[in-house]
Amino acid sequence: MFLLTINRSILFAFQSLWRNIWLTLATVFIISLTFLSINFLVILNAVSDSATTTVKEKIDISIYFKQDVKESKIAEVKSHLETLPQVNQIIYYSPDQNLAEFQARHQDDILILETLRELEGNPLGATLIIKAKELDDYPEVLAAIDNPAYADLIEEKSYDDNQIVISRINSITENVRKGGFIISLLFILIAALIVFNTVRIAIFTHRSEVSIMKLVGASNGFIRSPFILENVFSGIIACLLGIGIIYIILSLIQPHLSSFFAGVDFNIIEYFNHNFVVIFGSQLIGIIILNIISSSIAVSKYLNV
Amino acid sequence: MIKLVNVTKKFDSQTVALKDINFHIEPGEFVSIVGQSGSGKTTIIRLLISEIKPDAGKIIIGGWDITDIRRRQVPMLRRQIGVVFQDFKLLPQKTVFENVAFALQTSGGTRSRIQKIVPQVLKIVDLENKLDRYPQELSGGERQRVAIARSLVHRPKILLADEPTGNLDVINSKDIIDLLIKINEFSTTVVLVTHNKDIVNSLKRRVITLEEGEVSQDQKVGKYVI
Repeated sequence: MFLLTINRSILFAFQSLWRNIWLTLATVFIISLTFLSINFLVILNAVSDSATTTVKEKIDISIYFKQDVKESKIAEVKSHLETLPQVNQIIYYSPDQNLAEFQARHQDDILILETLRELEGNPLGATLIIKAKELDDYPEVLAAIDNPAYADLIEEKSYDDNQIVISRINSITENVRKGGFIISLLFILIAALIVFNTVRIAIFTHRSEVSIMKLVGASNGFIRSPFILENVFSGIIACLLGIGIIYIILSLIQPHLSSFFAGVDFNIIEYFNHNFVVIFGSQLIGIIILNIISSSIAVSKYLNV
Repeated sequence: MIKLVNVTKKFDSQTVALKDINFHIEPGEFVSIVGQSGSGKTTIIRLLISEIKPDAGKIIIGGWDITDIRRRQVPMLRRQIGVVFQDFKLLPQKTVFENVAFALQTSGGTRSRIQKIVPQVLKIVDLENKLDRYPQELSGGERQRVAIARSLVHRPKILLADEPTGNLDVINSKDIIDLLIKINEFSTTVVLVTHNKDIVNSLKRRVITLEEGEVSQDQKVGKYVI
């Protein structure tokens, strides 16, 4: 009998969805907008995380040693720097490696290649590329390099300070995120109100059936459930619609992201595919819960059973 | 079967709908409750189906004290009481069969039970040949018979009829009253609320007369005396 009651509640809910098709469409539309606004935040998060990681990966300190510094001395510096807790990785490039890389980089520049040939021997010294664990660790690593004992060894050091870029990305992302969060909250509130109103209108539309149901001894649960189920179905339809729209949007923005993240393995569609259940499952559950709460309040307020 | 003990119902501090009502209806009785408009007849029906609760007194139906009945128990009560109204309360988009079946569907009746019981009750009201008609394709009398059929699907021990002939002509009214008598003969207790003098007088059954919310007369074989 329980299954039979559920079956009939579902049937009545679908009938109601169909009979009030315009109301249903309005509800589905607004829930879809809510869904899209939330997913806009998810996309923004993924893109900003990836952008920040990409920029962070590009930050390092390069130490260019004087040409005559012996390899054993450089190894000593390297060993010392490796003892620092802030250092994540140090890569050593020998003078020969640097020369080969330089030549490869300028293989089309005849003038430079000619100049190199005229110079006798390798004019380049060895290099150490240092990567710190965190962005905040770089100043301390730089301070360690500034050790007077190394002053005679080091020709030059360079630190590509991408901190400004990172903080700019973070600042833009944070602002957009705040805006998106407020818009999402607004949509959630509007969706809850629309659902509430949908139930109110549905109860009004079905007042004859409801009064007859009460008269013939339908249980309160049976009278209430179609109104709640109706909005749960609207929520599910809206989510499915939203998922379709999101994938269309993702396929439209992916080419732009690919060019933005050139050389970086980042694909927003794959990100959504990989996290499909977590992203959409949690939102679907959230929307169902929102609809149940909103419908239940409307039902208890207007149905009087 | 139905017992009202010192029942009082007020709708606000000024309006006393029923005042200290006492009566006892035995199983299988056919009782008419008569009175002018506003005398409290419909309030009694609403109390009996627990649509409203009394302010004082006790209401007992089939040994069940429903005075302070819980909300979730009301459906159980209503499945034991059939009710018909003056305005039929049929769903226009449903056929005769569907209107009657609706009462069983909403209370969890299985499909096989619906297929068995609905034709039976429609046969009792003589509408077995109009299963597929819609209410708007029926006469007033036929619509009321559909409503009566619907009220019988739970095989109630009590049938409450609130002005069932109010919208009908004389011939259709007589048919409906004959049907109620027939149902009463199946040992169903029938409570007829009406202000139709001819019907009450022709019945020659018990009559409870209400005047301004009080029982003014309760006659075993009564007449409409107001």
